[in-house]
Amino acid sequence: MKIAYIDNQPYEYKEGETILNFINRIKGERSVPTLCDAPNLDPFGSCRVCSVEVALEENGSCKTQASCHTPVMENAYIYPNSKEVQKLRKNIIELVLTDHPLDCLTCEVNGNCELQDVAAQVGIREVRYPEGANHLDRQKDLSHPYMTSDLSKCINCFRCVRACDEVQGQFVLSMSGRGFDSKIIKGLDQSFNESDCVSCGACAQTCPTSAISDVFQSKAIKATDKTRTICTYCGVGCNLEVSTHNGEVLSIQAPFDAEVNQGHTCVKGRYAFKFYDHPERLRTPLIKRNGKLEPATWEEAYDFIANKINKIKEENGPDFIAGISSSRCTNEENYLMQKFIRAVVGTNNIDGCARVCHSPTALGMQRTFGTGAATNSIEDLKHTDCIMVIGANPTAAHPVTGAKLKQHAIQGKTTIVIDPRKTEMARYATHHLALRPGTNVAVLNMMFYYIITESRVAQSFVESRTEGFDDFKKDILALDLAHLEEVSGVPREEVRAAALAYADAPNAMSFHGLGVTEHSQGTFTVMQIANLAMITGNIGRKGVGVNPLRGQNNVQGSADMGVQPHQGAGYMDISKSEVRELYEKFYKVPLPKEIGYKIPEMYAAALDGKLKAMWIIGEDVVQTDPNTQMVIRALAKLDLLVVQELFMTETAKEATVVLPGASFLEKDGTFTNGERRIQRVNKVVEPIEGTKPDGQIIVDIMNRMGYEQADYTGPTVLEEVSQIVPFFKGVEWDGLGENGKQWPVAEGGVDTKILHEESFKIGEGKGKFKYNAFKESEELVENEEEFPLILTTNRELEHYNCGAMTRRTGNVELLTEDVLMINPKDAKKYNIRNGDKVGIASARGEVEIHASVTKSVRPGVVSTTFHFPEIMINNITSDVHDSEAMCPEYKVVAVKVRSLVAQ
Amino acid sequence: MSKNLSELSGRKGLHGNLFEKLGDAATASGTPSEDEMKSLANDFLMGTANTYGATTFYDFLKPDNKNKKVYTCSGSVCMMAGTQDGVKTSLNKHFKEEEVGHMCCLGRCHENGAFHYNGKNYSDKTDEEIASIVKEAVPYQEDTYNVYCHGTPILTQPFQGVDKLYQGFKGLLEKDQNELIEIMKASALRGRGGAGFPKGYKLESCKNTDSDVKFIVCNADEGDPGAYSDRYLLEKQPHLVLYGMMASGYMVGAEWGVVYIRGEYPESVETTEKAIQELRAANLLGNDILGTGFNFDFKVIKAQGAYICGEETALLSSIEGQRPEVRVRPPYPTQEGLFNKPTVVNNVETLASVHHILNHGAAEFTSIGSEKSSGTKLVSLDRCFNKPGMYEVDMGTPLRTVIETLGGGFKVPVKAMHIGGPLGGLVPISAIDRLSIDFETFQKEGFLLGHASIVCIPEAFPLIQYLEHLFEFTADESCGKCFPCRLGSVRGAEMLHKAQHESFKIDRELMDDLLETLEKGSLCALGGGLPLPIQNALMYFEDELKGFFA
Repeated sequence: MKIAYIDNQPYEYKEGETILNFINRIKGERSVPTLCDAPNLDPFGSCRVCSVEVALEENGSCKTQASCHTPVMENAYIYPNSKEVQKLRKNIIELVLTDHPLDCLTCEVNGNCELQDVAAQVGIREVRYPEGANHLDRQKDLSHPYMTSDLSKCINCFRCVRACDEVQGQFVLSMSGRGFDSKIIKGLDQSFNESDCVSCGACAQTCPTSAISDVFQSKAIKATDKTRTICTYCGVGCNLEVSTHNGEVLSIQAPFDAEVNQGHTCVKGRYAFKFYDHPERLRTPLIKRNGKLEPATWEEAYDFIANKINKIKEENGPDFIAGISSSRCTNEENYLMQKFIRAVVGTNNIDGCARVCHSPTALGMQRTFGTGAATNSIEDLKHTDCIMVIGANPTAAHPVTGAKLKQHAIQGKTTIVIDPRKTEMARYATHHLALRPGTNVAVLNMMFYYIITESRVAQSFVESRTEGFDDFKKDILALDLAHLEEVSGVPREEVRAAALAYADAPNAMSFHGLGVTEHSQGTFTVMQIANLAMITGNIGRKGVGVNPLRGQNNVQGSADMGVQPHQGAGYMDISKSEVRELYEKFYKVPLPKEIGYKIPEMYAAALDGKLKAMWIIGEDVVQTDPNTQMVIRALAKLDLLVVQELFMTETAKEATVVLPGASFLEKDGTFTNGERRIQRVNKVVEPIEGTKPDGQIIVDIMNRMGYEQADYTGPTVLEEVSQIVPFFKGVEWDGLGENGKQWPVAEGGVDTKILHEESFKIGEGKGKFKYNAFKESEELVENEEEFPLILTTNRELEHYNCGAMTRRTGNVELLTEDVLMINPKDAKKYNIRNGDKVGIASARGEVEIHASVTKSVRPGVVSTTFHFPEIMINNITSDVHDSEAMCPEYKVVAVKVRSLVAQ
Repeated sequence: MSKNLSELSGRKGLHGNLFEKLGDAATASGTPSEDEMKSLANDFLMGTANTYGATTFYDFLKPDNKNKKVYTCSGSVCMMAGTQDGVKTSLNKHFKEEEVGHMCCLGRCHENGAFHYNGKNYSDKTDEEIASIVKEAVPYQEDTYNVYCHGTPILTQPFQGVDKLYQGFKGLLEKDQNELIEIMKASALRGRGGAGFPKGYKLESCKNTDSDVKFIVCNADEGDPGAYSDRYLLEKQPHLVLYGMMASGYMVGAEWGVVYIRGEYPESVETTEKAIQELRAANLLGNDILGTGFNFDFKVIKAQGAYICGEETALLSSIEGQRPEVRVRPPYPTQEGLFNKPTVVNNVETLASVHHILNHGAAEFTSIGSEKSSGTKLVSLDRCFNKPGMYEVDMGTPLRTVIETLGGGFKVPVKAMHIGGPLGGLVPISAIDRLSIDFETFQKEGFLLGHASIVCIPEAFPLIQYLEHLFEFTADESCGKCFPCRLGSVRGAEMLHKAQHESFKIDRELMDDLLETLEKGSLCALGGGLPLPIQNALMYFEDELKGFFA
């Protein structure tokens, strides 16, 4: 045990601990004042306010040392508040105040300003220096929809610069000049709006004064209440602290003690919340009468729906009715929706957005490992030597995890990116395999070839924990490398180098996204990623594993809750009679045995007259599902389309009945993030007048249709869930605490950070190697002659999915439209200049869009987003699906482009 | 200080070096264009804020440097000599006002009137001479000054050729590294750059840090006005310095030596590069040197005008193309230095002593000098001496010997000497006999040996003005990172200025508080060292100064 002394009292210190951390740990946070130190940043040593006196013997001669960057020495005598250091601190703050406006009372952070606090703490009474040079005339920067700066308030602590570097990895902020005239700059001394700022707000949150802030004045003390909850956007599951006053949301910050996001979040999580009380929020149920959606009461709407459903059930049977639940909603709401469809309507026609995103992940990982969820946790990034990011653009789509992955890459640790586009991650990566879209299986198979032929197989893992390897190996060794090299467009040497880098890393982690799943070989690709982890023994410990970057905030949870046509709550196979009996006993009603429709099958059935009613919660299928016109035709064929929504989306416009639901800020429940972490969503404000939490709407209709279900509250439904879902057994509302628990959660609340430590949850517990050959997409085989380019769709940071929420926030000023990215070579070929309007056509039709000429896509490939209904890019995407899980192939569309500018 | 930026810069490292590229981009107009800063940011995967931020830090890169054609010296000695108004008047006949910049100390302290034109330094020129220089009508004449050794010639021994110097080098490379490090430790050689840290311990720490890549960096950013001993070594004894780097490289396992030379010394850059070519010609560089398996090469980095780069961590950030802001320690450079790799940073003179130690043994070296100050020391004398120049003396040589026997006494009445650079002590004439050239007596008497440059303050020069100059120097050169130095240097200069030009008296308690804040609170020796000469002045020249204080 190593000892050091604080004010002559002995305490144990931790090896390598700084004096500041040591004192604060023993004496309480902020017992030593500081201005440049921040919990999520490296020690910097600029303010010197944290100085303490250190002696080698009791009351011996002292040396003044900055405690934030000085490690504790054994047997050191530390005097944190000696007269001398008190004087030093006071004198430093006095100097700071010679160049700081003394307008505290009118300052936005009055009462929550670290400079003000420290000045009070050290007891400044007056500034003795004569008036001299200062920077009080620096102008405010109000150029940006969110970020603001007023550098007259800046104390040059560099916290913003360091946050931009160490947390976000964006390098937008730095200092210009030197000495007294050094000044915070954005880019080339531009405004926030002109700079490359990604508006993550890390600088504003860390700034100790109001020098950098935001339009919501998130550090102002106007807020009377703060509620901790979970972000509604992506599957990272950032914890948020929402400030409110009189029932109105004022601003959002990220708590530093959040295990998921450690005080960080992104432009969507922090700033894109104003959709919640947007004037366009739906505030009353609507019923379509004479082709027009007209306001109705809840009673009228419920009666209308119940009558229609009952009628269809009587005339056609329950299988003529289907539901699509929402991954935006809570676990409890998803559970209720699938229960309603199964137990009240009486069909297994229930599916969710996972179908169009990560269904191949769930299926592929289930086939190989037995469990369709991330094997590890994001915190494992601290313990890994190598990351492989395949078919994902995390800096845009999962920004907080993306920032962590980017830090890994910036630090020069091995990073493999497999992606047709030069993504932000690819810029920093050690290996970038820029493959032709649709050839993931080809490239992964080549990797196996090198791992096997160059003796990198983790023999003991393969022998003891897997089966099927011999056949797998035989197939791999029979590969025609020249062919795979040609179809993928990636030189074999590059593939070899990446394969060996992954195999040789002591610990390697893979991350994948929709660039893996949204392909006709999506499930096969997931299986190959899982096989890659097994063949190299990267499963079952810290810093390894297969980690899908789940898209929507609760897409993991919706599948967990049984929003799938073939599995009920807890992934139990409803076609098995013993499983059905279990559910029947629990729901106290007989249940259907036939596996229901997947989403694409629902459209086909509707077009075929075999589906008469659909109930869709929070999913704009018209804008986001492929082949829009087909979707619209299918919906038009229905007798009843119920849409639960926040806004009048493209899908809601097609509805027979629209029910106004509530946003994440207005309800309780839980979300499960991409690392299986069940976290508590806490109601921040009451639902906007006229709306109801989606769970309550479902409960209302269940009761209306004769099934008794108690009113919706997060805790009560969660308790019901924990009684039926095996891996939720130990989940309790109160036990979840602030940072949640990762399933499986055993009785007593013990959770699981790493899966498959000892064995797999499949068959005899062995992982299953299964070879799958590369197969060209049907879409290309059929159409590539007439449509020679490949369109692959992607996401931008500023918008989320169909954009229904983000387009109703300041984000729409940051990114105003979908554009078509095209390589300069193709642009030249088709006579297209940057910014030109172009027509992009596929076998389905043509849409018009502006071109952005960029080398981030390779020749032959074009790319765009589907955030804006003005473009409706899904008019041209194909209804080719993953052969196994029916996930649409958004990533490979045969297209041609033409300029629409008069030449 | 950004580990991320160090890493990103390190991806290209010394080849296609970012700092060098920023310098290249400034060659045409005096400052890089926005497009060049954008393009470099993109190449290095950084932000434009990083390239722009670094650019604006340096005197010879910043936007204000645009179109500057000629620079006058603004160092302490030239200032007190009063030569610079005349130089400027002469230059203004040929250049527009905005084309004339200034450089802080060109190391021509032995004759003053210094200026920099077209990549060359000049001093003590008449109006006519300046006219012909500008018209390029006369060939460049090398700077000359007295060089004399009083004791053992270690640093001033006449150069006898590369072959002679490297005799026995092969044998050295066949010795165990630890054995050589032990010799260096036993020699008790202390850093000559000012801090006096034992070189052997730096070598040992670097050697013991596990890394495939390590660096030896020579700190030749001799920015202290009044000091020109490093300039002497680089221009007259470059091989001694390079030898010291190579030997150090072998001892720690480094394959690269970086010589970081201040841009104000263009001739030093040339001579060092020439010496490196000579080594290359003699097959003493590259891979498998002398068939021993040892690899080593050099990179010369020309600095761009920032005194703070003489601070070792700022220097490392500078090589990386980052803003040269002082880093916190730990980690020490020997653990995480250049591009986050273990690095030994040594001063020019320290490295120049290595050859003697390795070839004559530690005992011989410790037999010279005093107990805690072994070896010899170069002393730069300014033009207030009858015989200004460069003197090598054994450590422990009485200061009076240096002044009278070597310097030939003062040319003009002098009241104090500023020894060891702007952060050294202000030694009153009365203290001369209490001092000898070594670390101990200076420390004991409340002064600092530093670089052992001697800047004389003539009787006629108002001390209050000199103190303002010192504060101003710190304010100009402060990196701006730590609060006490960034703010305190300016407030001090302002008060000293006001006291001379307005009916304002400085609150003595406030001045004392300010000095204490700088001394205890500053991150590095710039802010931390400034109080020493001020306190010396307040103590020894109370009478002259008391009218300015209340």
